[in-house]
Amino acid sequence: MSYNYEELSLSEIIDLMRQWRENNERKSEDIMELWLNVLETNLNNYGNEKYVLLEQIIYAALDCHQYGVANALIYLLSMEFPGSLRVMRYKSALLEAEEKYDEALNILDSIIKADETNAAARKRRVAVLKAQGHINEAIKELADYLKKFMSDVEAWQELCELYLQVQEYGRAAFCAEELILHQPHNHLMHQRLADIRYTMGGVENMELAKTYYCQTLKLNPDNIRALLGLFLVANNLVGHYKSSGSSKRKEAWKLAQWAQSKTAAKQREAQSTASPNLADMMLSLSLAE
Amino acid sequence: MGEVSFETSAYAKIILHAAKYPHCAVNGVLLADGTKVRDSAKTQDLDIVDTVPLFHHSHYLSPMAEVALTQIDTVAQADNRVIAGYYAACENFRDNTVEKCPGQKIAEKIVENFPSAVFIVVDNKKVMQHLETPAIKIHKYCDGKWKLIDTNKLLFQTPYVLETVSHLLQSGVQRDLVDFDNYLDDLSQDWTNLGIEKVVASINASNTVDCKEKDY
Repeated sequence: MSYNYEELSLSEIIDLMRQWRENNERKSEDIMELWLNVLETNLNNYGNEKYVLLEQIIYAALDCHQYGVANALIYLLSMEFPGSLRVMRYKSALLEAEEKYDEALNILDSIIKADETNAAARKRRVAVLKAQGHINEAIKELADYLKKFMSDVEAWQELCELYLQVQEYGRAAFCAEELILHQPHNHLMHQRLADIRYTMGGVENMELAKTYYCQTLKLNPDNIRALLGLFLVANNLVGHYKSSGSSKRKEAWKLAQWAQSKTAAKQREAQSTASPNLADMMLSLSLAE
Repeated sequence: MGEVSFETSAYAKIILHAAKYPHCAVNGVLLADGTKVRDSAKTQDLDIVDTVPLFHHSHYLSPMAEVALTQIDTVAQADNRVIAGYYAACENFRDNTVEKCPGQKIAEKIVENFPSAVFIVVDNKKVMQHLETPAIKIHKYCDGKWKLIDTNKLLFQTPYVLETVSHLLQSGVQRDLVDFDNYLDDLSQDWTNLGIEKVVASINASNTVDCKEKDY
């Protein structure tokens, strides 16, 4: 989506930027376009959000490899706030973008030395290691970080991601459990753990995955991934309990049927004539069982 | 022998998918025309007619991959197409090897069912708004390993493919691309990306008009 810059006033643009910032939207290209067309010429009229806006533009510029813009803005801020640790962090980010990792690490280390509780700088160190492709070192660093800052949800999420990348599913599951403890009402956390348990496989993990998918659906009945996941799990369990013909098998069978009908209903709701039907896929899966 | 040719829209979707999520690893599958392939042959010409963009997050988890692949398989069979390969782009800008790509298990599974399958890795550094090279690397499965094959085995069905895809990138069409993750977030989205196919077809049509004019 492109914007008609002529039609937007400066205050509207500032509102738009705030909205992106608050929603954590990474609209770097759009921000750079706005910068070139409107913001650059109005540098002194940003009002009381000036510095956060500049920060947002700096990171967008780094994303788009516009190092000149970033450098100029960082210079501006460093004149305004000499010795600020936050401005130092931009400098290290610029070095990082230019792939001067050692210099970036030096700056980060000096920030941490000056302020031991500077969580952002510590996490940036992990990011540098990740950018260099040292996944195992990044994991070690992040695990150390989490020993000190154990309530950092974002960091647990990233650690979970990194463990998945190196196929350490058991540890990833631990991180996912930690995330559920931090945000028990977030359906995505439950779904994540269920996904991991399903990937690990085996009857025990399937039973766990089933439970967590169910909890996800309790928290948010619209989570399609959980519905489909539950269908897979239930189908899988039907297979596992084949011989025993027990009540467990019946229960799994019922769950599969339920997930199937719910998914079909969701699809009808979405009126997706465009995408092929999920029901066909489910049919072919359950026939395979 | 062993040439791989692409329809413009199939190739375009790979590049657009990588461009839509520059900060993520992405993956997807390639579909070939089922009437032209022989099942057992190890080296044969492949004609990739379509691609399906799959995921841009949670690459290392299997449930949604299973759902996606089963569904694609069902749809492909109905259209007489076969899953003939896999593509991926790495999260890290500098990585452009098979080993660093997510979903190698998926690719191996595809090879099990279709021995002459290809593994395409997007060459991150060569993706730009004015494409000078196709920016993809093609691998074939050989003795349990993915071996890089020569780029001159890569053919396009129509002229001006790089120009067309560059044009799509410049006009920001990547924002309209729908992958399976987008679809799972919102079931009303269309992961077959008919819209993009139509855009490409119309550009192709005007290209051929240009060609004819030049002939005169």
